[in-house]
Amino acid sequence: MQSLCKFYEMGDQTVRALDSINLEFGQNDYTAIMGPSGSGKSTLMNILGCLDTPTSGLYELNGQSVAEMDDDELARIRNKEIGFVFQTFNLLPRLNCLRNVELPLIYAGVAPEEREERAAKALVNVGLGDRIKHKPSELSGGQIQRVAIARALINNPSIILADEPTGNLDTATSHDIMNIFGALSEAGNTIILITHEEDIAHYTRRIIRLRDGKIESDERR
Amino acid sequence: MLLRETMSQAIYSLTMNKLRSWLTIMGVAVGVFSIIAVMTALDAIDKSIESGLTSLGANTFQIQKNPATTFGSGHSRNLYANRKDITWQQALLFRKSMESKSRNIGFMISSMANQAKYANLTTNPDVTITGGDENFSASSGYIVAFGRNLAEPDIRYSRNTVVLGSEVAATLFPSGENPQNKSLKINGEVYTIAGVFNKKGAAFGQSQDNFVLIPITRYLNHINEKSSLSITVEALSRKDYPQAIDRAIGAMRLARGLTVKDTNDFEIRTNESLIDSFREIQRAIGTGAFIISFMALLTAGVGIMNIMLVSVTERTREIGIRKSVGAPKGIILRQFLLESLFLSLVGGVIGTIIGTAIGNVVALKFNLPLLFPWLWITVSMVVCSAIGVSFGLFPAWKAANLNPVEALRPK
Repeated sequence: MQSLCKFYEMGDQTVRALDSINLEFGQNDYTAIMGPSGSGKSTLMNILGCLDTPTSGLYELNGQSVAEMDDDELARIRNKEIGFVFQTFNLLPRLNCLRNVELPLIYAGVAPEEREERAAKALVNVGLGDRIKHKPSELSGGQIQRVAIARALINNPSIILADEPTGNLDTATSHDIMNIFGALSEAGNTIILITHEEDIAHYTRRIIRLRDGKIESDERR
Repeated sequence: MLLRETMSQAIYSLTMNKLRSWLTIMGVAVGVFSIIAVMTALDAIDKSIESGLTSLGANTFQIQKNPATTFGSGHSRNLYANRKDITWQQALLFRKSMESKSRNIGFMISSMANQAKYANLTTNPDVTITGGDENFSASSGYIVAFGRNLAEPDIRYSRNTVVLGSEVAATLFPSGENPQNKSLKINGEVYTIAGVFNKKGAAFGQSQDNFVLIPITRYLNHINEKSSLSITVEALSRKDYPQAIDRAIGAMRLARGLTVKDTNDFEIRTNESLIDSFREIQRAIGTGAFIISFMALLTAGVGIMNIMLVSVTERTREIGIRKSVGAPKGIILRQFLLESLFLSLVGGVIGTIIGTAIGNVVALKFNLPLLFPWLWITVSMVVCSAIGVSFGLFPAWKAANLNPVEALRPK
């Protein structure tokens, strides 16, 4: 992305949530975006995830310019290219694990039998093969987040975006989840995660620090 | 392919809030029910009007003081109320001038709520005594089942003979014993039974067989209740029918002593005019019921919209999640539209079933044929779909256009 800006009008003030951001993420990057609250990291995450569009600037994803897309094109990009993992999990509470995981496949137009098969496999891969028919309310926080990861992975996205994925989890579970992300990265996935915890950020290979909508530092290790 | 998923998700969402869904459905059901029930009943009545009201024989018309139904302002009702009864004298005058130009001129006069008694059996006090002549049965469509009809001498000598309607006969002679020449008492007076009429059935829930026929001359001398006579006239042929009516009007004006300036103070009833006047009532009821039902459906539509708006607000997060995993606007719109459509169609089906059932129960009560009002079922289903879609559109549009970032923001 080049000179990416996102401005909000707040009363008569303009808030520069993102101010001329230039960033590039390569295939198999494993990046943490850090920064204090209000630094613009959530805004960046929303734009990266095609949930929101920038006020100005260029954002290309796999060579497609996203900034100009309309809502339905963005929905299609989110469906095919992005896998979200949220701090608040964001599973549909009334659906069981299998139905939650297969949700992106429904919108991708995959046939029911194939959907179930792939969703079940994805759940096995995150170690929840025996919880397929459980509802989120019957699972622990760590298990729920693993369901969310399975959902994020189901459509083989280009980028996995994780917004504070361990924010609602205890330390031990957090490390379990980070180990899963580590394994996913090993397997070749591109992962961007947002966190304000240093120890979580240190699982990654690249740390971008934001402050007041600008990049403060961008270090690779 | 996505339709099936969207549909099952819509239904699933509705089952999550069963009470709310049912209440909304009931709103629609009541509206549809009222349309269907009234229309079924009216259709049934309509079907029976033809059969029930063609009680006059072919080429026959009737002259009476008042029209079959008075339907209108108080003014026209007062007009009828002030009319003088058609008397025996007028009737005889009328017959004299009409005798050569028509046939089977019959007179009739009735008294309701009488009681007949034979041996130790008594009818309910709801028997109609009809005073008539030998032409009554032909002009009113009754056939003598056994025994004989009234004959001219019965009328001339004002004899105490009686012909029973089939219902009276069945009540007083339950064992099937031959009633002919038996004596029975009507209002305390003794009559000899000449014969029994065939069963004619009911019209508008009113039995047409719960009566006894006595000579009109005897009626006029022995029954205290004096009401206006009605005269039945049969035209010589179908072709002659309109002229016969014209001549009858002239003869009646003469008999009533009307001058050129006076308007007719009597009514000509034909099968057609009877049917017309019932149709008029039927139309008025139908229109009223339709408007009221339509209002009810409109209210139900507002109820659907209300529930769907609440649902969209409640499920903002769900919508956000669906959008984040790639649900396009159209699918979200469709899901919510299907929910409102489903609510209104289920309501429609329930209303139709209950409405048809009740409508047919009413029809049965009036001895009318059962029917299935396809037209109104179709109309209701179309109206329901229109309501579901039109009132669901705004909430669904609202859901489809939610900003995913806003929708996902934790509250």
